[in-house]
Amino acid sequence: MSSSRPSRASRRPRPAAPALGLRGTLLFLWRQLTSMQTALILLMLLAIAAIPGSLYPQRNVNPGLTDQYLQENGRWGEILDSLGFFEVFSSPWFSAIYLLLFISLIGCIVPRVGVHLKQLRSTPPRTPAKLTRFTGYTRQELPGADADALLDRAHAALRRSRYRTERLQERASRSITAERGLLRESGNLLFHIALVGVLVCVAAGHLTGYRGQITVVEGSGFSNSLTQYDSFEPGAWFDTSELPEFRFTLEQFRAAYDEEPTSPNVGQPLSFEADVQVTTAGQEPFAQTLEVNKPLHVPGASMYLLGNGYAPEVTLRDPEGTVVAEGPVITVPTGDTGYTSQLVIKAPDARPEQTAVVGYFLPSGVIDEQGPHSVFPDLWNPMLVVSVHHGDLGLDEGVPRNVYEVDVSQLEQLTGQDGSPVLISLEPGQQIDLPDGSSLSFDGVRRYAAFDVAHNPFEPWLLGFALASVAGLILSLFVPRRRMWVRVTEADGAAVLEVAGLARSQDPALADDVASLAQRLSSSIDHHDGPEGPQPAQSSTAPTTGGRPS
Amino acid sequence: MIDQQLAEFSSLLIVITIVLYVLALIGFTADLAGTTARRSDARLAAREAKEAREPVGVAASGATDSASVDTTGAHTGVGGTDAPVAGSGGQDPAADLGAAGGVPAQGMSAQRFAFLIAGAGTALHLGGVILRALATQRVPWTNMYEFAITSAALVMAAFLVFSIKRHDLRALGTFVVGPILLLLFIAQRFWIVPAAELTPSLQNSHWLVIHIGVAILATALSILGAVVAVMQLLQARHERALVEKVAAGEERPEHWGRFGHVLDRLPSSSVLEGLSFRIHSVGFVCWTFTLIFGAIWARDAWGRYWNWDPKEVWTFVIWVIYAAYLHARATGGFRGSRAAWLALAGFVAVVFNYTIVNTVINGLHSYSGL
Repeated sequence: MSSSRPSRASRRPRPAAPALGLRGTLLFLWRQLTSMQTALILLMLLAIAAIPGSLYPQRNVNPGLTDQYLQENGRWGEILDSLGFFEVFSSPWFSAIYLLLFISLIGCIVPRVGVHLKQLRSTPPRTPAKLTRFTGYTRQELPGADADALLDRAHAALRRSRYRTERLQERASRSITAERGLLRESGNLLFHIALVGVLVCVAAGHLTGYRGQITVVEGSGFSNSLTQYDSFEPGAWFDTSELPEFRFTLEQFRAAYDEEPTSPNVGQPLSFEADVQVTTAGQEPFAQTLEVNKPLHVPGASMYLLGNGYAPEVTLRDPEGTVVAEGPVITVPTGDTGYTSQLVIKAPDARPEQTAVVGYFLPSGVIDEQGPHSVFPDLWNPMLVVSVHHGDLGLDEGVPRNVYEVDVSQLEQLTGQDGSPVLISLEPGQQIDLPDGSSLSFDGVRRYAAFDVAHNPFEPWLLGFALASVAGLILSLFVPRRRMWVRVTEADGAAVLEVAGLARSQDPALADDVASLAQRLSSSIDHHDGPEGPQPAQSSTAPTTGGRPS
Repeated sequence: MIDQQLAEFSSLLIVITIVLYVLALIGFTADLAGTTARRSDARLAAREAKEAREPVGVAASGATDSASVDTTGAHTGVGGTDAPVAGSGGQDPAADLGAAGGVPAQGMSAQRFAFLIAGAGTALHLGGVILRALATQRVPWTNMYEFAITSAALVMAAFLVFSIKRHDLRALGTFVVGPILLLLFIAQRFWIVPAAELTPSLQNSHWLVIHIGVAILATALSILGAVVAVMQLLQARHERALVEKVAAGEERPEHWGRFGHVLDRLPSSSVLEGLSFRIHSVGFVCWTFTLIFGAIWARDAWGRYWNWDPKEVWTFVIWVIYAAYLHARATGGFRGSRAAWLALAGFVAVVFNYTIVNTVINGLHSYSGL
């Protein structure tokens, strides 16, 4: 951003507010906004404003946790919510900060681009009259040296080191003014412009992309249409009719876990693999194995393996003998190492009353004094532990319900003849006839995989701008910008050579480079053996703008 | 697959490393303390010489030189106290400084001892890191413990490499070995986890090598940069105080007692500022790459390049703070000490990101294994 002048208005007390007028006020505000101090403050604000986003659960990242926090914190939670603390990164205050920052950035960059373009075409500035106060100042008297040859050599040497040079005829001397490192400013501008590009691409990606979650049980398929998604978030400008055509079947899902009993990480997952058979428009069907970090890419969509679980196959018959629920039921892992998964079957068609089966699926079930639980995530001893409830499931009210949850407090639990609740435990292949005449059978277990399907057409652009910004950053930090001057004055048959440099950035090597140029120039002169020979070099140690004490 | 015995051997090497670093720390500290003693001797000699009204001796001239250097306020004062004693031509100030560390020609100076022990410690440290990698058959940075020992080894290696030639940097030994020792101790005591197979989310990706490798580099540079920035701030305050005292007419200004003498031996605040800037600029580039590579990996693994995961938020915060530091350095009124405070704020964010975010806040980057 522009190197700032401290704003005079804020420093000096104004006797009476001068009439700035509307235009003046706007200009004043604009200058303030694009000043470096403002940019600095906005940067710090941006850093501080981002922090709550890591401390409070964010609705777009983890909606469940957000709701839980709201429930647990009552009034305080509501206040935070109204202030946007659960949607920090889309909140008005966060947006205001980064938008102001980018406006400030653009306001600062645009004039600098103009200045820089002009500078690229212009010649280096004139050699200062007095070189003594510049870095590495060296003065040598070279008796009998040819001034023209000296200047030619200096010119050639500077050109070789990729300096832009200009020869100047001065009143009593001649000089070369040279400049290098304009790439530093080019890099700096590239960095900032590319950052604007990054922001634009992020916004454009949000508007034109889409993302959805799907769950697929082994042996079944998915075709890319809206109805097949568990959830779907289209960008504002995304037309859902443009969903690309593709279908796939989940042939098999494999999970491997650390089974070494002595291992400290027993039960930790080792690999997840999903074999899919994919069909896309205009392509031969092909097979692919998806893993974490190995997504599937088809035109217009990418698919990522993000989760998995068990889908026990069950058959539920009501007391009249009608099959009211059948097939694999997706269960929700509770998050323990044994992969205990919650199971809910809703049978609204059951007669005489609607029925819900609620309980757990245990991949490696054990029933001991702790009650039923699972000791390992793999299918060592699959077991269903469920209870049966009757009553109105509340599905007819037209309110959308979570299919993985049911409120059993309004239902009546099935009891045995002694009046105690019936707790059913089943192994694959088993069937149980219940006291009310209904029956439940556990036919087998399949696995399911959860995928995210997403597309963001601006991702390649985003990456391009990000890489361009790093390239600019590297140039702007590590290319030294400097000026170098060589002056030759002819006096009494001797040439007086003066060399000096000016660092326009951190440039520790400048003094050495000046010295070595002077050395090379003076030693290249075949001097006539004068009585004294060349004068010893005098070095000055003037402070430089680069901040390097010599 | 996992060789637990090898992993235990690696852990043993790290413990030995800690012991060696303790010795090195003692050596570096003794060296700093020794400087103080020598300085007092030089002052005493100067006073005696003055009292005797005899031609000023070599040592005395050294001492007066240092005082006169201080009065200029430029404070090149790096070892101005005793450099002339050992230095022959003053052509290579760095060499003088190294020599200043050890006064007697025979025997080993505390600094040399510390430097060698630190070198041996770093060799064992690197050995421990490599053994951990061999034991697990992968890069040694997949959990908090491994990340800590690897980045600590990197900081030590960088410090040693820098100070092989630049002897004046060795005086910073205490301030590098100290924090590293603390980090290693915490890692070995609280963060150590058994060597284990990778979870699926860390498998199948070369980004594990690239993204975390760059992050380790960035973290190491942040640690080094923070050490230099702290020294810079202390030195700046010290220099100001000395200048004020000289202005008040004190002939031999003293400030902060023994610690002040230590600072007298360190490079001036403007040299430290330049060093801090160079470290932080490389660090900033590394943080930028960490973010970009992380985004590429996140897209492969989770299907979104950016998800405001706590780790992402904090890396973003770090990046923004260091960006502010770089801008502050180019802003009138912020250069020097104020900018250094921003660099330290960035370091605080790095520490927070590494400790609290890893262990307390739950997110997608939960690989600490704790």
